Formats: sequence, C-alpha cells, structure tokens
Amino acid sequence: MKRSFVKASIGAAGFFTLLLVPLQGCTDLTETPRSGIEPSHFFKTEAEVLASLAGTYAQLRSTLDDYYNVSEISTDEMVVPTRGQDWYDGGTWLDLHYQTWNGTSAATGAFFNGAWNALSAGIARANVLLDALKATAVPNQAEYEGEARVLRAFYYYLLMDLFGGMPLATTSEVTRRERVTRDSLFKFIESELLAARPELPVSWNSANNGRITKGAVDAILANMYVNAGVFTKDSAGAGGINATGYNSCAGVTVSGGLDACQAAVNRADSIINSGVYQLADTFAKSFRADNASSTENIFVVKFIAADGLGLNFVMRALHYNQFNPSPWNGFATLAQTYNSFDAADQRRNIFLVGQQRNVLTGALVNDRTGNPLIFTTTIADVTQATEGEGARIYKWPADPAHIAQNNGNDYAWFRLGEIYLIKAEAELAGATGTPTPLSLVNTLRARVFNPAKPRSAVTADTVLAERLFELTGEAKRRQDLIRFGKYTDCWQYKTPCPSAARTVLMPIPHGQIDANPLMKQNPGYP
Amino acid sequence: MALLRRLVPALVAGLVWAVPLGAQESPGAVTGKVVDATTQQPLANVEVAIAGTPHRELTRADGGFTLNGVPAGSQRLRASRIGYGSSIQNVTIPSGGTVTAEITLSPAAAILEPVVVTGYGTQRREAITGSVSTVEGSAANVGVVTNVDQMIRGRAAGVEITQNNGEPGAASQVLIRGGSSIRASNDPLYVIDGVPINNVPTEPLSMGVGGSPALPRNPLNLLNPSDIASITVLKDASASAIYGSRAANGVILIETKKGGAAGGSTVEYDTYVAAASPLKRLDLLDAGEFSGFVRGQVTVWRTDSVSSCAAQPAFCTDTTIFKDSLAGKLAGLGPSHLKNLGVLYKGPGPWCPACGPSDTTRLFYNTPWSRATTRTAVTHNHDVSFTGGSEDTRYRASLNYAKQDGVAIASGLERIQGRLAATHRALDNRLRLNLNVTSSRVNNQYITFENRGGFEGGVFQNVAIFNPTQPITVTDPLGTRYFETGASSVRNPVALAEQVTDIGHTIRTLGNATAELDLAQGLTGQVTVGVDQSTGDRQLYYPLANPVGVALGNGLAQQSNLENSTRTLQGLLTFRRQLGEVHSFDVVGGYEYTKFKSNLVMARGIGFFTDAFTYNKLDAAVTRTDSSWAEDWRLVSFFTRANYGFKDRFFVTGVLRYDGSSRFAEGHKWGVFPGLSASWHLSQEEFLRNGPFSDLRLRVGWGRTGNPSVPPYSSLPLLVGGTGGTYPWGDAPQTGVTLGRNPNPDLKWERTNQYNGAVDFGLLNNRIAGSVEYYVKNTSDLLLEVQAPQPAEPSTRIENVGSMRNQGLELSLDAVAISRPGLTWRAGLVFAAERNKVLNLGPYAYLSSGIVSGQGQSDTRAQRLLPGEPLGTFYGPVFLGWDSSGRQLFRCSTGTKCVNGKTTSDGISPADYTVIGNANPDFTIGLHNQVNWRRFNITFLLRAAVGQDVFNNTALVYSTKGNALQDKNFLRPALTDSTALHEPAVYSSRWVESASFVRLQNVTVEYNLDIPVLTRSARSARLYVSADNLFLITGYSGLDPEVSSANQADPNDVGLAARGIDYLSYPRPRTFTAGLRLAF
Repeated sequence: MKRSFVKASIGAAGFFTLLLVPLQGCTDLTETPRSGIEPSHFFKTEAEVLASLAGTYAQLRSTLDDYYNVSEISTDEMVVPTRGQDWYDGGTWLDLHYQTWNGTSAATGAFFNGAWNALSAGIARANVLLDALKATAVPNQAEYEGEARVLRAFYYYLLMDLFGGMPLATTSEVTRRERVTRDSLFKFIESELLAARPELPVSWNSANNGRITKGAVDAILANMYVNAGVFTKDSAGAGGINATGYNSCAGVTVSGGLDACQAAVNRADSIINSGVYQLADTFAKSFRADNASSTENIFVVKFIAADGLGLNFVMRALHYNQFNPSPWNGFATLAQTYNSFDAADQRRNIFLVGQQRNVLTGALVNDRTGNPLIFTTTIADVTQATEGEGARIYKWPADPAHIAQNNGNDYAWFRLGEIYLIKAEAELAGATGTPTPLSLVNTLRARVFNPAKPRSAVTADTVLAERLFELTGEAKRRQDLIRFGKYTDCWQYKTPCPSAARTVLMPIPHGQIDANPLMKQNPGYP
Repeated sequence: MALLRRLVPALVAGLVWAVPLGAQESPGAVTGKVVDATTQQPLANVEVAIAGTPHRELTRADGGFTLNGVPAGSQRLRASRIGYGSSIQNVTIPSGGTVTAEITLSPAAAILEPVVVTGYGTQRREAITGSVSTVEGSAANVGVVTNVDQMIRGRAAGVEITQNNGEPGAASQVLIRGGSSIRASNDPLYVIDGVPINNVPTEPLSMGVGGSPALPRNPLNLLNPSDIASITVLKDASASAIYGSRAANGVILIETKKGGAAGGSTVEYDTYVAAASPLKRLDLLDAGEFSGFVRGQVTVWRTDSVSSCAAQPAFCTDTTIFKDSLAGKLAGLGPSHLKNLGVLYKGPGPWCPACGPSDTTRLFYNTPWSRATTRTAVTHNHDVSFTGGSEDTRYRASLNYAKQDGVAIASGLERIQGRLAATHRALDNRLRLNLNVTSSRVNNQYITFENRGGFEGGVFQNVAIFNPTQPITVTDPLGTRYFETGASSVRNPVALAEQVTDIGHTIRTLGNATAELDLAQGLTGQVTVGVDQSTGDRQLYYPLANPVGVALGNGLAQQSNLENSTRTLQGLLTFRRQLGEVHSFDVVGGYEYTKFKSNLVMARGIGFFTDAFTYNKLDAAVTRTDSSWAEDWRLVSFFTRANYGFKDRFFVTGVLRYDGSSRFAEGHKWGVFPGLSASWHLSQEEFLRNGPFSDLRLRVGWGRTGNPSVPPYSSLPLLVGGTGGTYPWGDAPQTGVTLGRNPNPDLKWERTNQYNGAVDFGLLNNRIAGSVEYYVKNTSDLLLEVQAPQPAEPSTRIENVGSMRNQGLELSLDAVAISRPGLTWRAGLVFAAERNKVLNLGPYAYLSSGIVSGQGQSDTRAQRLLPGEPLGTFYGPVFLGWDSSGRQLFRCSTGTKCVNGKTTSDGISPADYTVIGNANPDFTIGLHNQVNWRRFNITFLLRAAVGQDVFNNTALVYSTKGNALQDKNFLRPALTDSTALHEPAVYSSRWVESASFVRLQNVTVEYNLDIPVLTRSARSARLYVSADNLFLITGYSGLDPEVSSANQADPNDVGLAARGIDYLSYPRPRTFTAGLRLAF
C-alpha cells in the first residue's frame, strides 16, 4: 500500500515536472506583428516620417470619389441615368440627382457615408503623423508638419462643405466627439492654414511636384472666404443659409478682422502676384496627361500611370467600347447644361456628343448592338435610358501611357482660372481690388474664343455662368449653386422640385450617428 | 465563480485521497466468448473491459477474448460493441487463476459506440451528462463523400451543414445549434485524435475579376473518410466548455481508425466509381425562343417607329434629330439586334462553298450553354489499408487515391493520401505509445466562377447571358477558335473554363504522438505532441487568347503560396476510479499550448507577348507586383473535467478551462470558461424498474464558451505599406504607410452561455431509444465589424457589440423496427427546430448585410440585422405588381412619386422597406434507415428543411428581359412576366421565395458476397451501388434551395450575418456510385 503510494507520488511528480519544464516559457502571450509596425516603433528617421506624409497625401485620391460625385451628380452638371440593367444600384444615383435623400436613404448610404469616411480617413492619417512628430526629431520637421496640417485642414474643409460642423480631432485617438459648429470649424481650418503657411515653400522642384505650397494654402483660403456666407452657418432659413438667394461673403469677419470678401481678394492677389502661376496658353492644357508642368494648377491631386495611382475619370463617362479596359458608360451631362455653352466657346469641347470614336485609336465605334455609337444630348427618360443617351464630359483626356484605368492626368482642386473668378466675385460683392471683375472674366474668355467674344458687363449671375463654363466637371457646382441660392431649383431631370431648403447641408448618415451618438443630425432631416 | 472556487480544491482533494487505494493481490485472467443474442453468431470487435480499469480487449473473429493481468476479486465485466446494447456482468477472478465468461449482446436501436470520445479522453456513454451526438464512420461513409462535413449531414440533430456549392471538395457552412456568432466564425472546433486543429483554408485564394473570388475548398479534404472511425459532436456548452475559448460553436471530435485486434492481420481494399451530373440547370431560353423574342421586339419597334414618324415626319428625314429625339422613346428592340443573332461569315467557306468573296452568310446555332459547361463527371476512389501487429504493437496503415471530376468542365479534385496509426505498449501495458500520421496531397483544379458580384470573369454568369444563337467555336480561314462577341461584359463561358488556368495544390501533414503512462491504479499521465503543417500553392493564368486575359492587361499570371503551421503540446492527467458499486470518479486535468503561424507569398505578372510561359516565367511580364504577409498567434490553456457517478444513477460533470490568447490586448488575454452538468438515471431507480423504460435519464447542464475570432493584432495599431498609402511626388511613387487596422484594445472574447435540458429514453430493451433536448444559448459581447466614430482609419473596427439568443428543440429517435434472424431494420430520425433572435446591437439601430450581386445592384443590401428579428431577415421593398406599361410597382407611404400607395423604381424610399422574409427554417429533419436482409444491406438518408426563405439573386439579375437590350440571354420565366423591356432589376419581395425542401441525400444497396464460395482468402467482400441526391422536392425556382451565403467580400457578410442568398452557384450533382469492399 505504502510503497505503491510512494511510487505513484514519484511518478506524478515526475510527470508534472515534465509538463512544467516547457510550460515556463509557454504562458507568454505578447504579440509581435510580422507584416505591420506599431507607430511607437516607427517615425525614427526622416524617411519614415516621409512615408507617413506620403500616406496622408495619398488619401487625396479618394476626394475624387464620393465627394466628387456628390458635388457633381446632385447638380445640373451631371446625372447618372438608369440604363436598362445598368446603374440602378438600389436607386442611389437617382436619389442623389433628385436630392430626395435623408439620413437613411440610398444616396446617403452610398455617397455621403463614403465621403464622410474617406475624408475622415485623411484626417486620421494626418493625426497619426502629427502625433508622432510631437515625439521625434528629424530634419525638415517643421515643413512636414506644415504639410500635414494643411492636408488635415483640406480634408476638414471638404467635410465642412458637405456637412457643416464636424467632430474636431487633433489627436489620433479614436473616440466619440461632439460636432463643433460650422463657424468654429471654419475658424479652425483658417487658423491651421495660416499657421502652417510660413513653413511651406513657394514652389517645389520637379522631383517634388504636386506637394503643398504657399499658393495652395492661399487658394483654399480664397475659396473659403468667398463661401464664408455659407460656411459659417449651420442651417438654412432665417439667419442661416439662404437657400434661394445669394449668400454673400460681405459682412462676415475673418482672421485679422477682415471682411471675408476682402480677404478673398487678398488671397487671390497673393497667388496672382506670387510670380509662380500664370494661365496656360490653352484651356485644354491644364487637364492633359502632361499637365504636371502646367503653370495654372495650384493644388492638385497627383496621378501617374501606374497601378492604383492613376486618374480613372475616363471610366466613369465613356462608353464600354471607347477605351481599354472597357469603361462603365455611366455619368452624363444634362442637355440644358450642354446647351447653355456658347457653341464658339472652346470650353464646350470638353463634351462628347454625336458619333463616337475610340479615344485611344480614333476609330469609329459602335454600341453594344453593333449600331454606330451616337451620344445624344437629351435623355428621354433617366429611369430607362439607352446606352447612347446623354452628352459626356471628357475634360481629362486619356493618357496614351495609361496602365489599365490609371491615367497620369493630375486633377487640380484649385487652378488660377478659378482664382480669377473668385476675385471677380468678391469684388462684385464689395471688396476692393484691381483689375475689375469684367477684366478678370474677359481674361479667361480671351483664351477660349477665337474670334474674341468678351462680355460687356458682369453681375454675380454672369460670374456663376462663367464658373459653369470654366469649371464644369471640377466638383465646384454644388458649392456654387448653394452660394448662389440655386441648389434647390428645378432642372431638367430633377423631380420632384424645388427640393427642400435642408439639402444645402447633407444629412449625416445614420450609421455615423449610431457610431457616435454625440452627433446631432443636420436641421430638417428626420 | 464561488462554486468553482470550491469545486477545484474538492476535485484535487478527491484525487489525492483516492490514489493510495491500490489492490495488492496477484492478478488473474478472464477468458470467454461473445455472441449475438438474436442469431447466436460470434461477434468480433466487441470491446470487453474490466470497468474502472484500463484492462480492455477486442474480441477476435470467433468472438473469443482473453484479459490477462486482471486484479483478483469481484470485478464488473463490460462488453460493448457498436450497434448493440452493452452488457455488464460481475465476475469473481481468482487470484492467479482464470474465470470464463459467456456474454450475449442484443442489437440496439442506435448504432452507437458505447464509449464516447469526449474532450481530452473518453467516457462511457452512460456517464455522459452533456449533449453529445455521435456519427459512426462506416455508416456515414456512403456514396461520394470527400470530407468529414459531408458525413455528418443529416445524421446529428441540431447540426446543420450546408455545402457551399457543388464543386468537388467544396467547403461547408457548419452550424451547430444555429451558430453563436454574427460576424466572427461560426465554424465548430475540429479535434482530430485529440488535437484541436486550426481549420482555415490551406490554399491561397484565387483572384476575383470584378467580383470576389470563389470560396476556398474544404481544408478537411485532407482526411480520407474511410480512415474515420467515429465523429462526435459536442453540442452544448457543458460538454464543450473544456475547449473553452474556441468552443462556442460546438466541437467536432474526429477519431481515426486504429490498429485492430491482437494477432489478426487484415488487408482491406475499397474502391468505387461514380458518375455525376447536375441535378438541375439554369432554365434559359434556347436559340429559337431567344431569336423569336428578339424578332418580336423588333416588330414592336418598327410599328412604333412608323407611327412616330407619321406623327412627326420632320424627325424621320433628319436621322440625327430622329436619333436624338426618339431613340429612347421607341418601344421594343431596334433592328440592329437582329445582327447579333447567329454569326455572320464573309466570303466562301464551309458555310457557303459557292459564295463570292464579298458574299455574307449568317449561320444560326443553338448552344445550350448550361449543358456546354457541364458534363457527366466520373469519380474513382481506391483505399488500401492493412492492420496487424502483436499483443503489444499494433498498426494500421492506409493509402487513398481519389479523383473527382467536377460536373462543371475543367474542374476537379485529386487526392493522394497516406496514413499510419501505430500503438505500442510497454512496461506491462503501463506505458502506451500512440502515433498517428496523415499526409496528403490534394490537387485542385478550379474554374473561375463568381462567389458574389462580378461583371467579367465568371463562367456561370456567362452561361446565363451568352446568346444561345451563337456557337462555342467558329472555323474560318484563320482556323478554329472560341467564338467571342467582342462585347466587354460577355465572355464565352466554355472558353473561360478551358482557357483560364487556375490550379492549386496542398500538401498537408497532420501528426500526433502520445505517450500514456499509468502512474498508479486509475491514474494515467499523458503527453501529446501534435503537428499540423500545410503548404498550399495556387497558380493562375489568364491567357492572351482569352478576352478577359486581354482586358486584364494582355495576360495575367499569378503564383501564390500559403504556409500554415500549428504545433500543439498537451499534458493530461486522468484519474478513473470505481469504489465498489457506489462511487465512480473520472477526472482529467491538463495543459495545452498551441502555436499557429501563417505566411503568404504572392507574385503576379501582367503583360505577356506569348501564352507559352503561363505562370512559369513571371519575369517575362511587362509589369510585376508581389506581396507577402505573415502572422502568428498562440493559445495557452489549463483545463480540468471531473465526472462523478453515484451508483450509476447520478452523474455530475464539472468542467473548467482557463484560456489565454495572444490575440487580445493585455488585461483581456485570459478568460475562464466553466461548465456544469448532471444526469439522473431514473431507470435505475426501484420505482421505474418495472416500467416501460429500459432506459430513462434526465440531463441538465450549463456552460460558458467563447469565440476568439478576431484576427491577430486586432488590439494594436499597425502601420502597413501598400498602394493605398503610396503617392507620387514628381513622377516617382513615394511608398507610404497608413494604419492598416483600427485597433481596439478593449476587445474580448464573445461569450456564449448555454443551458441544456434533456431526456434520454430507451424502450423495449432499448429497441427504441431517443432523446429530446432543449437549449438556450445567449451570446453576448458579439464581435462585429462596425462603423467607428470618425475620424478613424480604417473606417470600421471590430467591437464587442450586442447580444443574440438561440433556442431550440432537438429530437433524435432510433428504433430497431424489425430484428429477427436474417432481417434487421433500424430507423433513425433527427429533428431540430431552432429560433434565433438578435437581442441588441448596442448603439446601432440596424446593420446592413447580404450584398446583392449583379449588374446594377451596387450598394444594395438584401438583409438587415435588426434587434428583435433573427439573423437572415430579408429587408427591402414590397413588390405589388406592374402598371399597364410594365413598370414594377412597390408599396410606398410618402413622397411625390407615391400614387395610391404604389410607386415605381425611382420613387422607393428606404422608409418603406420592411421585413420581407426569413432565411431560417422552421425545422429540419433527417431520416436514416438501415435494413439488413439476408446478404443485403440497404441504407438511405432523407433530409428536409421547412419554412425558410431564399432570395433568388440569380433570378433578380438574369430573369429580366432587359438583358436583350445588350443581346444577352435571360431565364425563361421572364419571357412571360409583365416586366417591360427597359425596366431595371430591383431587389424586392418579388425575389424572396419559399425554399422548403425534401432531399433524398443518399440511398445505398450493399450485397455481401458469399466469401467461402468465391475465395479462400477473402474474409468478406461487399458490392454496393449508391445514389447521392437522387431527388429533391421543392417549390423553390432556383437551382437548389440549400444555399450557403458565405462571403468574404464584405465584413458584414462574413459568418452568419447573411443567410439564404442564392447567386449563380456551381451546380450540385446527382451521383451514382458502384463500389466494392474487400477484406482479406
């Protein structure tokens, strides 16, 4: 009995020792990531900081997806008709064009939510970098910090434009924050831009072409100032945004105690007088694949013909048979908008109508049934359109060196042409400056009419018309129509109309409010 | 917890107290014979054991057995065999002498092993207190079975198995008691020979062309079903909690066959040949119907244009105005559509020998694309195994070769697998060594088909749309080649299948070695080392010869390689003790360490000048990209289970597991998972001894289990490189970094609390046996990928959000309907009714799931997770019919486009969406029968599911006449519906169908040859014929009502979130098999 017990005990003890030997090292559960690196182990060198800065820039590409679509398709510049089995997509495109959206509708889930996330991701990227810069020291740090702050301000600027006030995050912590008012966000963006500006160069060498300059900061500011009558207000209606009349920058005081209109003119002058920028000799030049050398483009999203790094606008509008890879045959322009262009205006050449060709080979192309492909200006029924209906915008021509859908055309968020029109509009609204609005407008017209066809007078409405001719397809139309009180108006395919005054601010997507219940929905949306 | 704190010391104390009670007399022996009570024939392979001791032995072919070295005195001799009720008799063993015992066994209703494999050990079936289903390997290995999942189908109550599609070796969605998670994995934990395995895909995914790639095949294809002895499913948490953090979805324990009885060596050869063809094909228009439709619509167009021109003559003279103003308004199809019927040949040729060079000839074909892409596919399978050994060393070695062609062309599976199982005992049977090694190579041949979405490269999508008046190949002076339309979104599906190469190979080795040492009477220590190593590669080539290859950039080649490895170390102490007639103890305690590692390498080349290299010369490509990725994680566990039996009447089982996982943040790494269950054998009580019940037990149990399915590193912020963070400065891309994952340091395990109550009963000496079980499963801290408060990147993150409840009733019933010499008929029924409800989603009012696939369906979701509703709730517009012009009408309440409560497609407001279906069945049934009649053995398995809805996504997208606008074919029902030609496809209640079904899963007729007549050496030879999927009765209009919605394209569709969505699946086969089993 006893002997057995001893034997058993020795056996058991031996067995447990056997188990415990490997066990010592086997309760360590620390993770060591293999294919990613924790920020705390990064940002030690200038190259690592630059990598994070490149990542922050890279999110600029996403500004041309949902933000772009909302700014174009909810206006009279573009519509995406349902073409048989194509492009119904749960009603998203027509909801966007009709402006029938609310916090849970189809367009909100697709576009507003997408813009909210994509632009916020840009802010998050900048904040990761800015947090890290607080705890590191690398060469040229102040300049990198300046670029990151401007990029963050620009992403906030686009969000402010769509939604008004936003949760304001200046650290990378992911947490629920309340929305600040649109006016405070405006002031935050303005102060960030002004603080970063001295750290930035006037221009970059060609190896760094596309990075942010003092001129880029001035352009964002000029645009913000001319929109100050809208950007400082949280709702439509009395004391807020006028949904049916002009929202002037006059009377809004901005940094330095300046009137916003005057501030806009000052910023425009700063650009014009910088000696860096001048109008390209032809209108088309600023959009071509070789436009990296354009002297007109001030702040661009940089594209090259490489996988995932190129501009894909040719895909959105062109017909399936006009390019390789096969485009999507979606986005079209309203006939009324196409027809508002002067036939002699070279800026009308951005549209494709009539018999179509392959944009690479120049060969005539047929539609999918084998008939000659003809783009008509009218669309008989946007809910049941055919594949050839609607004029197409082809402002950024295909890059002969494209890699699949990636074209090397840079996309200018701000170019000198718009700065002229901002200046003209601010002067018309009461700011002082030279030359006159008429002269500014006619400078732009001079390069697109041959023979010349200058205007004899300008009003705010002519500036709006010139902005349409100059900037169609450049994602400014929504902002312009709201500023001019025409966003809720009726146009060709928009039913029902006029739309509600609340639409001057986009609804906050329900999923965003679920994730952050501290946020309140914009006025007028249930 | 307080209970646990007391329980653990109590168990330890009990263990120490029991150890010294060793017997000290010189041992004796038992010898005897076991016979069938009905036939009086000897029974082989009966396990005869001295209860409460490790002494056990299998009977020989003549039914005889000898147990040596048995402690003297009064012992309980237990004999048990699958298919029979067990027998217990008392024997008194003389010290140093031998006693003889004659044992008879009666057939039992259920074909069940008397000893059940449970977590980390075995238990007598009577002592089990939790909810456990077992499936016998040989009973389930009928017809063409490629993996273990297919063997369980319809045979275990509450285990719902849906094969993803009809592809050979397809993976399955396995739900035990409805699953417990929404987004995280709902796969059960698989344990092979005691070692938990990491059941993840072993081959890299393919590449989706404009959609997500097809789902991976089943990683368990490595196991040959013929090697499987038994499968045990631990369903409730009191049973599975010993597997702790990985057991929330149940546990499937697989035991493989081991060496046979001492002294006898056996050679077995099994083979079968099977032929399969699709059970059903898409019901598409044939060439005559399609061209008739097009011609009819062209007539409509002509009539309309004539009247339009009559009304506005000015338009018809100027063709530009005509096009501009009227094109969209004319009804029907323009005459140009006639040009796309058939094929136009020019000049002289076989189509027109007498034609001049400029003459044209139009030839019409009738290509049934769904037949052209499918076939009668042959499978053949060969198994050779031999077992043998001595008293102390036994082995089983087996080899398997299987080749299964898919019913879709150019797809298939080939397996070469070898397995060795060996046991050795030493030190007077006090040390037992065990070795199992399985090594397999699986060669997969894939076709490119769509899981979800996709505009370009899917074979089955193109089957649905390719113009039936056009041929598979054309021959002209340039030669014979596949016919392509030239349109971008229509590809010849036969060419796609034949020209695109997509193959994968997996080599996987699964091995474990166990040393088991008896430390004292009843106390056994065991150390197990397990290795699971797999290498899977995938080779892909889209050739220049195929238009998809051209569109992808003039040829695309890709090589990828995935390596997974799992190492497990296990230490166990088992203590079993029977104290007289009253107390029995069975205690297991252990430690387990598991380490997982995965890495992937991928290289891709785009742009080739020749198809000669395929994927073997990536450096010939114009552009190349490559990537690699690695991850690892660890799991550390301590666990114990104690089972106490009192007079074989009361049993109590307590389980405790303490798990630590590297995947969670500091402070959340460790979790405790307890379970407690009890049973009362009423039939052992005096007051029921003479009742109708030969067996009656009550069982109750509770347990908590977890689900750790968050990816490794989820709690850490990680910067990653890649295209998304790269930006060009100047013209040079600057490689950037961005946050690849939104960290959540608060992540913890999903927790499932499960309550289980059951009654087990046996009637008429267990000729009828069954159990009824009721369970409630509450899962909280659900791991969901949800929108994160912004700004954040990525925009979503995994959070523990909300809770869910499953409750259900399960019934299993087995009966020996007839038992007389020459005829036995056993019938078994499994029934399950399960109800699921999302209780809470935290701050989220609802979450969208269920991506709708197809052209024009972007951003459409078919389902919502809604508190108060089950998972798989279809949510969308209500279809009300058509207006006079063929526009679909939907229910509405507000809006200017809402007239009389009806609106057209552009007026639907999400505010009018509502619940339009439920993908969960009311109940499921499996009915299996086995009839042994003389030399015949007939089995069949019927399965049914009743009350579920399925969204026919295929019909939504492909039964719209509008396809003809692009010269695409469509499904036949659209020919006669009222939908107008230009009407878009709109997801609505119209496409949600009732999908109840009854399926004859398998029927097998086996004949035992009269061996002595045929041969001297063969012990047995059986011939069989078998049919899988012989018939399917359903009202569902799609290919198959059983659909798996597994989808990795969207984080909200992973797991259970989406159920019951049917989109262009690989067709399921009907298979006929003939086979032979020989034993020498």
